[in-house]
Amino acid sequence: MSDHIIEVKDLSVEFRTDEGTVKAVKNVSFSLPRGKTVGLVGESGSGKSVSSLAIMKLIPNPPGEITSGQILFDGKDLVKASDTEMRKVRGNRISMIFQEPMTSLNPVFTVGDQICETLMLHQSLDKTAATKKAIELLDQVGIPNPTERVKSYPHEMSGGQRQRVMIAMAIACEPEILIADEPTTALDVTIQKQILDLLADLQKKYNMSVLFITHDLGVIADIADEVIVMYRGDIVETGTCEQIFTHAKHPYTKGLLACRPSLESNPERLPMVSDFMDEAGNEKSHSLDLDKVHKYVRPIDEQKNPVILQIKGVKKHFPMQKGLFGNVKTWLKAVDDVTLNVRRGRTLGLVGESGCGKTTLGRTILRLIEPTGGQIIYDGNDITTYDRSKMRAMRRKMQIIFQDPYASLNPRMTVGAAIMEPMVIHNLGNGKAERIEMAGDLMDRVGLSRTMLNRYPHEFSGGQRQRICIARALAVKPEFIICDESVSALDVSIQAQILNLLLDLQEEFDLTYIFISHDLAVVKFISDEVAVMYNGKVVEMNDAVGIYENPQHDYTKKLLSAIPKGIPKTLMPAST
Amino acid sequence: MKATTMNAVNVASNPQLEQGRSLWYDAYLRIKKDKVAVISFFTICFYLVLTLLSSLGVIFDNYGVVDNSLTYLPPSWDHWFGTDLFGRDVLARAVHGTKTSLVVGFAGTGIAMAIGTVLGACSGYFGGKVDDLIVWFYTTIDTIPYILLVVAFSFVLGPSLLTLCLAIGLTAWVRHCRIVRAEYIKHRDLDYVQGAAALGASHARRIFLHILPNVFHLVLINFSLGFVGAVKSEVILSFLGLGVEPGTPSWGVMINDAKQELFRGVWWNLAAATLFMFFLVLAFNLFTDALRDALDPKLKNK
Repeated sequence: MSDHIIEVKDLSVEFRTDEGTVKAVKNVSFSLPRGKTVGLVGESGSGKSVSSLAIMKLIPNPPGEITSGQILFDGKDLVKASDTEMRKVRGNRISMIFQEPMTSLNPVFTVGDQICETLMLHQSLDKTAATKKAIELLDQVGIPNPTERVKSYPHEMSGGQRQRVMIAMAIACEPEILIADEPTTALDVTIQKQILDLLADLQKKYNMSVLFITHDLGVIADIADEVIVMYRGDIVETGTCEQIFTHAKHPYTKGLLACRPSLESNPERLPMVSDFMDEAGNEKSHSLDLDKVHKYVRPIDEQKNPVILQIKGVKKHFPMQKGLFGNVKTWLKAVDDVTLNVRRGRTLGLVGESGCGKTTLGRTILRLIEPTGGQIIYDGNDITTYDRSKMRAMRRKMQIIFQDPYASLNPRMTVGAAIMEPMVIHNLGNGKAERIEMAGDLMDRVGLSRTMLNRYPHEFSGGQRQRICIARALAVKPEFIICDESVSALDVSIQAQILNLLLDLQEEFDLTYIFISHDLAVVKFISDEVAVMYNGKVVEMNDAVGIYENPQHDYTKKLLSAIPKGIPKTLMPAST
Repeated sequence: MKATTMNAVNVASNPQLEQGRSLWYDAYLRIKKDKVAVISFFTICFYLVLTLLSSLGVIFDNYGVVDNSLTYLPPSWDHWFGTDLFGRDVLARAVHGTKTSLVVGFAGTGIAMAIGTVLGACSGYFGGKVDDLIVWFYTTIDTIPYILLVVAFSFVLGPSLLTLCLAIGLTAWVRHCRIVRAEYIKHRDLDYVQGAAALGASHARRIFLHILPNVFHLVLINFSLGFVGAVKSEVILSFLGLGVEPGTPSWGVMINDAKQELFRGVWWNLAAATLFMFFLVLAFNLFTDALRDALDPKLKNK
C-alpha cells in the first residue's frame, strides 16, 4: 500500500465543441495522501472541477474525453475501468458533494429515502436497517431531531441543512475518498463555517482523504493539509498549506492570496492577480504595498459628503396567509422599520445573511418593490410620493447592479443594445451614431473593448458580464448606485478587479453606493459606513472600521467570527 | 509597435464592430446541420410554391373544368390521380386543396398565436386581477367543446374559408396562451427584466422588447404545432360539411366524397388527398421537432 490513495499521472481532458477542441486539463499529475485533506484551488475554467470529475469518471462524453494519463486508485487505473466497476466505486469508495444543495437533491423523495438508496445499493441493507442507519447519519451531520427529519422533503430544509444531507449521503458508505466541489460557495458565512467544521470532524472520524475544490484560498486555510493551485488547465504550484500561505512561489498563487479582502487590513485598492503576473503567466514586478496592517480610511466631509439619501422607517411586509375574505392574517416582515442615511460620494455597506431583507430593502429604495410604509428621501424629496412619470425621470439618477451577471442581461440583446437602451429611454445622445460612440466609451471605461458592442451576453465570461452591467448602469450618468451582491457570484480574483473598478468609478463620477453583501470582508474593504441587518431590522450601524473593531450586537460578533481567517491552522496563534 | 498604434487609431475613428453570434443564429446553424429538418423545410417550401403557382393559374388551372364524359377515370398519364364524378382532374383538385389547407393553417394559427401571445403575456406579466380575468376567460372558452364552437361560428357567419380561419384561430389559442403565461411569470422576476425596470423601461417595453424575444421560440414551436392541428381541423370540418363552402377544392371534401366512391372501387380521390396531407403534416411535424431541439436552450449542449 502506498501512502497515496489516488495518484493522477499525466492526465489530459479535452472537450470537443462547435468552436474547436478545448484542452480543459493539460498533462496534470497530483496525488491524494491517505487520511489527509487536499485543497484544489483555481478560478472558474481552470480545470479543477474537470480533474475531480475525471476521478469519478463522470466527464460527460461527448463532448469531453480523457485523452491521456492514468488515475491510480489503490493501484488500479480508473481510466481503464469499466462502467460496472466504476459504479461499485462511485458513492461507495469515492463519493462527492456538489456546490448547489438546492438542485442536487431530488425534490420528490424524502431525504431519508435518498440516503437509504445509497445504502441499499452498495451495502445490501434492507429498508429498515437502511432507515436506521440514515437516522444515525443525519444525527452525525448535525441535523436536529433526525427521527422526524428523515421523513422531510428537501424543500422543507434550509440550504445549510440540505448540504448536511448531501454530506450524510456522501459518507453513508464510509468512503475512502470524499470529493467536495465548492460545497460552501452557495452558503452564508455562518453556515459555511459550520459545514467546514463538520467536514473537518468527519474527515478525522472516518480517516477519509478529502479533495476540497474551491476558488477561494481563504476557505481552505483552516482545513487543508496540502494545496494544489490550478491555472488554465495546469497545476502551477503544490505544497503544504503552510508553504503556500507563507512562501508562495508562483505569481498566480501570490495574486490569489493578496486579492482577497481581509478583516485585518484595509488597503486603498485591492491587489489583483494581474499585478503579479502578466498575460503569458510570467512574474511581474509590482510596487504594491502588501503590508497587511495598512489601514486606509476615507475622510467624511460634511460639505463634500452631505447626506443625500434618507431612509426613514421603511417597511415592506408581504402577506403570508390570507383569510376566507382576502383579509391578511399573517405578514412576513421582510423589511421592518429601517432608518438609514447615505452620504454623497461615499459607500454604505449593508450586511446580513440570506433572508434578512437586505435585497428587498435595496429594491424598495428604487421602488422596484413598493414599500408598505416609511419615507425614502432623496435630495430632499420623498420619492415614495412620486407618480410613474416622475419616478421614471428619477431612475436616471438611481441605478442598480445585480448579483448574477448571467441573469441580469437579456440573452437576446447585443451588449451594445443593452447599454444603449437606457439612453433611448431617457433620450440621451443625438441619434444612433452618437449613442454607439457613447456606449463604446463606456465599454472602454469598464475595461472592455469597444469592438465587442455587437456581441451577445453568452459570449462573455462572468466577470466581463458584470462589467457590462456596470457600463449599462453608468449609461444614464447616475448619482447613486445600489450594488446588490454584485461580486458574490464571481471568483475572488475577478472580484478584486470589479471592486477596484467600482472604487475608480466612484472617484471619477462622484458616485454614491449602497453595497449589499453577505461577505463582511468585501463590505469592509469597499464601504465607509456599514449597517448590519438581521430579520428585517438594522441591528447595528457604524463606520467601517468601528464596526469591525468594536462590534456591539451579538449577531455582528457571530458574523465576524464566522469569516474564514485565511490562516493555516498550524500558523494560528495558540490562544484562538 | 507601429501596427498596433495604427490599429488603435483605426478602431477609435471607425469602430469596426466585431460581429456577435446571436442565439437565433446558433439555432439556425443547428437546424442547418440537421438533414431531416432541411428536407422537411424544403418539402414545406415545395407546398408553398405549388400553392402559389396554382393560385396564379400557372399550373393546374383545369381544376374546375367539368366534363361528364370523363367521370371516374382511373389514374393514367393524362390524369395521374384519375378523375372524379364530374370528370375533374383529381391531382389538380388536390393541389388546389393545398391552398385551402395552407391558408387555414397560416391564418388560423396566426390568429391563435397573436391572441394567445398577447393575452398570455399580459396575464403572466401583470398577474393579479388581469391574470384572474384572462385565466377565467380562457378556462371558459376551454370548457366549450371545440366542434360546438366551430359549428356556432359556421351558423353565424356561413361556411367559408374565412369562417374556418376565424373558428380555428379563436379556439386554438388557449393552449398557447397557457404556455406563454407560465413563461412570462418565470421571466418577469428575472434580473434582466428588473434591471430594465430600474432603467425606467415602461411595461410595454419590458413585455415586448425584453421578454418577448426570450419566449419567442415557444411562439415558433407552438405555431408549427398549431399549424398541423389547423390543417387537420380543416380536413375534419370539411369532411363533416362544416368547412369551406361547396365547390372549393379541399382535402376534407375529397375524403368526404370518397365515402360514397370507395365501394365502387374509386380509391384515387381518397389516396390523393391523404398522400398530400400526409407529407405536409409529416414535414411540419419533423420540422417542429428539429425547431424545438434547435431553439430550446436547455437542450443546447446535448
